[in-house]
Amino acid sequence: MLEEKVFEELISIVGAERCKRSKEDLLTYCYDACIHEYLPDAVVFPKSAQEVAHIMKTASAHNIFVTPRGAGSGLGGEALAKYGGIVICFSMMNRILEINTANRYAVVEPGVVIADLQKAVERAGLFYPPDPGSSAVATMGGSVAMNAGGMRGVKYGVTKDYLLGLEIVLPSGEMMMTGTVTSKDVTGYDLTRLICGSEGTLALVTRINVRLLPKPKTKRTLLAIYNSIDAAGDTVSKIIEAGIVPATLELMDKRLIKALDDFTHLGFPLDAEAVLLMDVDGDPETVENQVALVADFCRRQGAREVRVSSSEKENEQLWFARRSAFGAVARMRPTCLIEDATVPVSFLTATIKKVIEICERNRVQVAVLAHAGDGNMHPLMLCDQRDEEEMARVNKSMDEIVDYALSVGGTLSGEHGIGVNKARYLPKQLSETSLKMMKAIKRTFDPQCILNPGGFLDYGAL
Amino acid sequence: MISEQLREQVYSCIKCGLCMNTCPVYRQLYFEGASPRGKVQLIKKILEGELEISAYFSSLLHTCLLCETCTVNCPSGVDLNRLMKAARAEVVRKLGLPLEKRALYSLLSRNRLLPFFMFWGRTLETPLRSLILKEGRAGTIPATRLPRLNSRPLLDQYPQIVSPAGPRVGRVLYFVGCATNYLFENVGRAVITTLNSMGIEVIIPRAQVCCGFPAGQAGMRKIALRNIRQNLELFDPGDADAVVVDCATCGTALKKEYANILEEMGENAEAARRLGQKVQDISEYLSKLDPAKYLKPVRGRVTYHDPCHLLRSQGIKEPPRNLLKSIPDMEFVEMAGADVCCGGGGAFQFDHPDVAAGITKNKVQAIMETGAHFVATGCPGCRLQIHGSLGDESIKVVHPVELLALAIS
Repeated sequence: MLEEKVFEELISIVGAERCKRSKEDLLTYCYDACIHEYLPDAVVFPKSAQEVAHIMKTASAHNIFVTPRGAGSGLGGEALAKYGGIVICFSMMNRILEINTANRYAVVEPGVVIADLQKAVERAGLFYPPDPGSSAVATMGGSVAMNAGGMRGVKYGVTKDYLLGLEIVLPSGEMMMTGTVTSKDVTGYDLTRLICGSEGTLALVTRINVRLLPKPKTKRTLLAIYNSIDAAGDTVSKIIEAGIVPATLELMDKRLIKALDDFTHLGFPLDAEAVLLMDVDGDPETVENQVALVADFCRRQGAREVRVSSSEKENEQLWFARRSAFGAVARMRPTCLIEDATVPVSFLTATIKKVIEICERNRVQVAVLAHAGDGNMHPLMLCDQRDEEEMARVNKSMDEIVDYALSVGGTLSGEHGIGVNKARYLPKQLSETSLKMMKAIKRTFDPQCILNPGGFLDYGAL
Repeated sequence: MISEQLREQVYSCIKCGLCMNTCPVYRQLYFEGASPRGKVQLIKKILEGELEISAYFSSLLHTCLLCETCTVNCPSGVDLNRLMKAARAEVVRKLGLPLEKRALYSLLSRNRLLPFFMFWGRTLETPLRSLILKEGRAGTIPATRLPRLNSRPLLDQYPQIVSPAGPRVGRVLYFVGCATNYLFENVGRAVITTLNSMGIEVIIPRAQVCCGFPAGQAGMRKIALRNIRQNLELFDPGDADAVVVDCATCGTALKKEYANILEEMGENAEAARRLGQKVQDISEYLSKLDPAKYLKPVRGRVTYHDPCHLLRSQGIKEPPRNLLKSIPDMEFVEMAGADVCCGGGGAFQFDHPDVAAGITKNKVQAIMETGAHFVATGCPGCRLQIHGSLGDESIKVVHPVELLALAIS
């Protein structure tokens, strides 16, 4: 519990309305989209960097844990107060400050929802590519903290590829800028990309400069339908190998297809074993050529049918369905653990097979989803967290999937992060020296270790 | 108690958050307690015994328009709408309702309400006035933008059976909602005239009462139940073609809520389900009758606002638009975000005027951008809210059937 005088200080910074401490409010800030719950002692909603700095000064003066939070759509407990303390929620600090068409960049506050920024820049003929499945929920601040990836990674990369600069508040309450708004910048260490993906353990991001691209003139969505999941997986590896670059390349298996169709009624092929959902974008002529090329490629790899969307509305419906995947599987079982180990794309089919084998052996229901073009697996393990015995089997499957991914040169997590879920695996991938360096960086930014404890690094060993 | 089937639904919410940014209320307030998933979490904690029903919980639960946007957008299929309403009933069971609310809903649910007249009448010098008006406003709506009362209730203006002049081709029962009965008589007249001129006989059961939705959504299910029983008795459709309703909310009550409430209260819901299958919104019913052949040109530009209780509760999107488009010389313009709630939400705009005003502002702007002369909408609540917030006198808010009647006369 926080002392009363801490509450008084917080209220003097943000006002009573924006400092919540009732049991009801705390219970609505103890979750994100993973299965863990941790109660904070207070939730504050700053509206400016100055307020954030004041909150951090208070927190460091009283040595109180602080956990930053955006929309709470994370999948690993990163935005949860693992050891209590203050949650700083950025949802009310959500203005788009500038869209600069002359220099193609935008400046936003951390609470801006990704999809809102995308819509706003697209109205100006520009394009912000990073597109996590949760873009309609997740905030820009959260996506910087997590280095969010998503559907368009295969062609456009991930959040870190679009960051030009950040305004940050250090745990001490000091403020600073990293980077600039220029597309090239080699002045000093690249702290922008150090903060990006640090899971809120180094600093609080209060302003974000992002690079924008011209909006692709047109886009078509293809749905390739397979009677075998192996053929679908092989198609992906071969597309990449052949040098074709679709804007998105998603793989979904039959369980997922059914769940999505139950929700959207879009007429997905319920008898298929797997589908690939792909976008090609660019100039109309290039897109026409690419559609033909990709469709033909899929057919030659064994797709029984390739559907090509005929309108923007149809594109949107298909992607709306895909974005609903995580929620839609809750139609089958109440709990879903989504794994995101990532492998070199040539191992995709083997990894899918392995995941299915592991889950079957452990009697875990699984629906296979993947940002396939990136080798980024997203098996959805369906369970009921009220059943301890079942959860043990799910955890065992997760252990085995992680081990396999590492054994073929992959990574623990492609984009969801380490958080609570994967902290225990960290030493499997990072060497002692690597961990030592990371801890040293952490101590440099946060000597008191008050920022977001309990996740990314093992704080007991600091 | 919240029924077993609904209780299990709280475990289907996996907190993906897709309900948040579609929620008009969350998009004004930006904290979890105002969001759908936050409310599901609190209901879950109450069911699990970790949280007591408190006044603050109740206020969070009522910081909701019941617009059902979350319900139709939930990929996990959680019926948030039913869950919230059931939880509100639990709150009333546990905490009761403030006296003024209880008085209001109890009055609204009874037939022939003199006090109800007084709310809206010119003689507002009654103690009840304080229930409605604060600083000259009813919630977000200035007193000067409130509608005048009907001179007499619509139910007193017509006989029980109104037959068409020409040959009879059909027969319907007409459920006259409170709004039409007391405030918008022109809607009722338009319904009856339009049906008659298409050869439809209209039967208006005299003893009908408020549909009970306002009391039911506030959690006062006992009051709602009394009205449900009386209306179920009166509206046995028999050999009538349909039971028609001109109000989106009443239609939702008769089609769905009656059966839901009865079922959740452990009562027999058979009759309610039978009635539900016969109920049609007036726009649904009329659009099946090929109205175009009865219509004369009316010049003007019209836009349409989707009431939550038509679009999301009943899935009615095209019929009212088709009716409007069928009027010769009437130009139909789609507004941006026609499907977004207007911010009224029945009692919501009284209790949360600031939040409501923020939501309504966007709606008004979208209407203005169309340059329309008419905003058509099939819900008296939306009508009150939109008319009350439109500064522009030249834009008329109407029921689609009023424009139809204009084209028939």
